[in-house]
Amino acid sequence: MQQTLFAITVILGTIAVYVLMNRLYVRFTFPLLVPVLTTTIILIILLSILHIPYSSYMVGGQWIHSLLGPAVVALAYPLYKQRHIVVSYWFPIICGVFVGLITGMISVLLFARVLGIDQTLILSMLPKSLTTPVALQVSEVLGGIPPMTTIFVMIAGFTGVIIGPAFMKRLRINSSLGKGIAFGSASHALGTAKSAEYGEFTLSMSSVSMTLSAILGSIIGPIVAWLITM
Amino acid sequence: MKIITIIFQIAILYAFSFIGNVLHDLFNLPIPGSIIGMLLLLVGLSLKIIPVRFIEAGVGFLLKYLSLLFIPAMLGIMNHPSLLSFKGSLLVVITVISTMITMGAAGLMSQFLEKREQLRKEKEKCSKHYSQSL
Repeated sequence: MQQTLFAITVILGTIAVYVLMNRLYVRFTFPLLVPVLTTTIILIILLSILHIPYSSYMVGGQWIHSLLGPAVVALAYPLYKQRHIVVSYWFPIICGVFVGLITGMISVLLFARVLGIDQTLILSMLPKSLTTPVALQVSEVLGGIPPMTTIFVMIAGFTGVIIGPAFMKRLRINSSLGKGIAFGSASHALGTAKSAEYGEFTLSMSSVSMTLSAILGSIIGPIVAWLITM
Repeated sequence: MKIITIIFQIAILYAFSFIGNVLHDLFNLPIPGSIIGMLLLLVGLSLKIIPVRFIEAGVGFLLKYLSLLFIPAMLGIMNHPSLLSFKGSLLVVITVISTMITMGAAGLMSQFLEKREQLRKEKEKCSKHYSQSL
């Protein structure tokens, strides 16, 4: 009974902080104020002050977390609505996603090698641009540390959301298609959520590339990992 | 009333994700269950087996609050204070730079191909007026 009450408090508390932070973001639209980031920071501070460990938080948190599965499924709808455009641009989409995946994984490998990072950590970093549920499984298959992978996935997401818009302007990536594919292949669902700000076409391009990235990534990941052991 | 519709529709989406997970385990597929569920729903929608109105409200709700769903996973960072060390910050820097490379490469590549394709289509349109070859 007490546990149920605690779980409900956690869920409502998380939603309340999120709603407040969302209001703040709508008011100021400053990139560092994206609700996921501010809500996370505030909740970490709250949990530390109240001495609540992560495992206790997850008693309630898992209910929110379990909606990620249906949310990934939900992405089929924007995809379906834009299917004609997706089919007619299949070539730039596939090439963009593929190039993104390869450069992403190879660059991690090179930097980490140069800086002498150990192998399990490199393996945990490889799936960073895939959507969380996929990245976790890929990390496990590769022999990485799944919770670590979640964090890299989140960092990749935030990089795209916070630095992405200005960075793409710099590189003159200004077509809706280019932006969507960049968001989806580098910053998975967080980038896809951000891409909604650029309109429905960008959103569906982003969700297409996120999905494709997840599928291709679970195939390419093991090949790149094999290169590490060479 | 609308809330009941949304909850019911999310349950439908959940069922797809569940079926995806079952298929994933059954056939030992490398693709995660939720992605399989998404592909199944896409097929269902395309073949008109599942009417759009069965899922529309649920989808709208989930995608609107998508970023809320990441928060529990994000808090997992609490268990890894080592990321705040020097070596940890190196990993963060690598991830940030590599993500920007990914973003630039994917965006530039697709934009380049998009523009090239548009040019080609325009040319095709022009040449159709003059010849019937090929």
